[in-house]
Amino acid sequence: MTDLLRVRDLSTRFFTEEGQINAVENVSFTVEAGSVLGVVGESGSGKSVTGLSLIDLVESPGKITSGEIWYNNADLAERVEGDQPEAVDGDFVDLRRLSAAERRSLRGSAFSMIFQDPMSSFNPSITVGEQIAEAAEVQRRASANPRSTRSRTQGYGLGKMLLDGVLPDRSYTSEESWDRAVELLERVGIPDPAERAEEYPHQFSGGMLQRAMIAQALAGDPDLLVADEPTTALDVTIQAQILDLLADLQETMEMSVVLITHNLGVIARVADRVSVMYAGEVVERGTLRDVFDDPVHPYTKGLLGSVPDIDQPGERLEPIPGNVPDLVDANMPDRCYFADRCPKAMTDCLTRPPEYEVSDGHRARCVLAEREYSEADAVPDERLAGPTDDGAGPNDGSRAPDESTAPDAEVSDD
Amino acid sequence: MTDPLVTVDGLEKYYYENDTLLDRLTGAEPEAVRAVDGVSFDVREGETLGVVGESGCGKSTLAETLMRLREPTGGSVTFDGDPVFELAGDDMDAFRRRAQVMFQDPFSSLDPRMTAGEIITEPLAIHGVGTGAERRERAETLLEEVGLSAEQIDRYPHEFSGGQRQRIGFARALAIDPEFIVLDEPVSALDVSVQAQVLNLLADMQAERDLTYLFIAHDLSVVRHISDRVAVMYLGEIVEIGPTEEIFENPQHPYTKALLESVPRADTDERDRTVETIRGDVPSPRNPPSGCSFRTRCPELIQPPWLDLPQAAFREIGEFRTRIENGDIDVDLRWEGVGDPDREDRAAFVDSLYEEAFDTGLPAEEEETVREAIRALADGDRETAAATLRERYRSPCEAIDPALPAGDHPSACLLNEQPEDVETAREEWEADHDAPKAGAASE
Repeated sequence: MTDLLRVRDLSTRFFTEEGQINAVENVSFTVEAGSVLGVVGESGSGKSVTGLSLIDLVESPGKITSGEIWYNNADLAERVEGDQPEAVDGDFVDLRRLSAAERRSLRGSAFSMIFQDPMSSFNPSITVGEQIAEAAEVQRRASANPRSTRSRTQGYGLGKMLLDGVLPDRSYTSEESWDRAVELLERVGIPDPAERAEEYPHQFSGGMLQRAMIAQALAGDPDLLVADEPTTALDVTIQAQILDLLADLQETMEMSVVLITHNLGVIARVADRVSVMYAGEVVERGTLRDVFDDPVHPYTKGLLGSVPDIDQPGERLEPIPGNVPDLVDANMPDRCYFADRCPKAMTDCLTRPPEYEVSDGHRARCVLAEREYSEADAVPDERLAGPTDDGAGPNDGSRAPDESTAPDAEVSDD
Repeated sequence: MTDPLVTVDGLEKYYYENDTLLDRLTGAEPEAVRAVDGVSFDVREGETLGVVGESGCGKSTLAETLMRLREPTGGSVTFDGDPVFELAGDDMDAFRRRAQVMFQDPFSSLDPRMTAGEIITEPLAIHGVGTGAERRERAETLLEEVGLSAEQIDRYPHEFSGGQRQRIGFARALAIDPEFIVLDEPVSALDVSVQAQVLNLLADMQAERDLTYLFIAHDLSVVRHISDRVAVMYLGEIVEIGPTEEIFENPQHPYTKALLESVPRADTDERDRTVETIRGDVPSPRNPPSGCSFRTRCPELIQPPWLDLPQAAFREIGEFRTRIENGDIDVDLRWEGVGDPDREDRAAFVDSLYEEAFDTGLPAEEEETVREAIRALADGDRETAAATLRERYRSPCEAIDPALPAGDHPSACLLNEQPEDVETAREEWEADHDAPKAGAASE
């Protein structure tokens, strides 16, 4: 299988008043053409920011600070090679080195994204059809005039505003893109698409709206679809429908999908390869079988052990003690980020572990990939238990902390 | 674990729309949203009864109504022999002491201006238990018991994480030493590793203090893990109830089966597991379907006695019928779609709609009936089109409302054992409806 995307050492930081937050830290992974990469982790593990970084949607105060994103596209490579030979390697182009306008022109046509909450992702005052047609129209105009990288919003000036005031019914979209919108709605399994296209988002159910958002994302016929928790807001029966749809689209459109979710079952259902994220890092990656059947990293094992099994309920769950660190740069220890919660922390873990290769394509950021655990090397508790203990910062409650073992820990309160 | 601690009988909670003074003056009919529509069950002493269902099925309203946090529209709840909705004064206080609630959202269920200690001691203060110092001591003990530390007593909720806040919410529910706790989605806002910690805590406390839980959740794996018995809700009704093992290993109601099948397993064999997804969305409780409320999505819909179609074909016809009855098909738009706005070529209209709606080949007789309905539709006569289909393809499920019989593991489905009056109604219905002549609209 050829690679569609090779991400190398990608780091994204947020520069906030509380300090620098290392949301994504030296993340590397590969997305194969026509396959599904599952990115799994708890809230605050950096998985959503990874998705946003891929398609360059990180907003201030966030910034991609380093890394390379190599995208396999021979046409683009040929076009870019003349101006920026350093950004091209064979058929691959490093997106980080392209101009902002060039990157923007790839959004929608090469990469597309769907989000968790379909209700808040649509404009409630415009019909669903119009909103999908708009996406189709942008692509239509771009392909009709490839030199123009102006986006729709750039076209809005004072003159336009006045004109719209006089002629409010002028539509941006053409009949052609409206037909395309109806076609897309039909493709994602919405019955009576022509009729439904005229309806407003509130007339759609959550599952229908998620389908509509997928239709919108498909408007530019992208190579890569980033799906950020696409089924989290949905009921299980609807979730099953949407997962079926995604798998079907991925196959028939030969698209690659990066599926971001906290739900291990969803990953198992659709992903070919899996990246497990913790505290901004990819701690383990490999094929679904590598990660689920043969996990190396204690965090991966802990995550799998925390999920109650619906088919074989056990007596007791084995949760991971402690909480997810808050990712503030100043508080991040200079050791394995998981060591404080790890049942198998050893003296080796007091330095930052590199990514070890477990087997071909299966990597883990843990010394256990290289050696067995031995009690003799276990780290005394007092060497650990830093900022990850207890009382995580304000407003971050949905992430994981618990099991307060350190009553005297400083509270990062403001 | 045999005596029922809580008995719920025919509980109803309707919300009314168009019910303002202005609406009454203008004579608008109030419209009922049937959030909980006649629910009966027992919670036995010392057990955990799980209530599971999709969003909007009324499970939270059920919890709030049975705790009398909302006034019921009908039905009764008995707590240890006392009728909850008739209690007043000291008896009501006693009930409030013995039954507590823990809520879903760790962010909005704790007052941000109170410290953990104040939050936990508030129920004690309200019921006048102990002196200030004693209450504080009790709060410290409780914090330790739920896995926090006593020194955290003076911290504010924002200094705690989600999982820790849920522990505080649980400590508050435990403060007054209740016997019965309603847990409304207590772990659904938490990450899996923390969720597991809280679930273990709930189980430990139940064992230690002989608590009875009503555990409400949408996550079936969690419900299976923690419950002794499970009730499955759909559109304000319980469709199946029984021992956990029975419900999960031997589900009776088609909805329970579909629900269980839909849950993706965290297992490498998951990709090869075939999942028969159920189609469509949950109908609105404003306008629930007649008869069985699940019939619009049911994969095992019962056919009328004169039909014996493959289930897939029967469902396709049913879905098509729903589209016509709901007016989803815009005839003008369709005529434009076939490129014939002058409406001359009726056959083209019929072919195009028929081909769009039906993937499976129908038997000739059925195809003719469907085409006849489409012909009526093409002429703009939606009533006749709907009547044609209704005559031939009506299912007993849309006429007869199945009931939840008594017993250990009953299910509200006509396919399973039903109380006598429902069976009689069904026989009468079948006798009343002779097979209509195929292909003939009788209305």
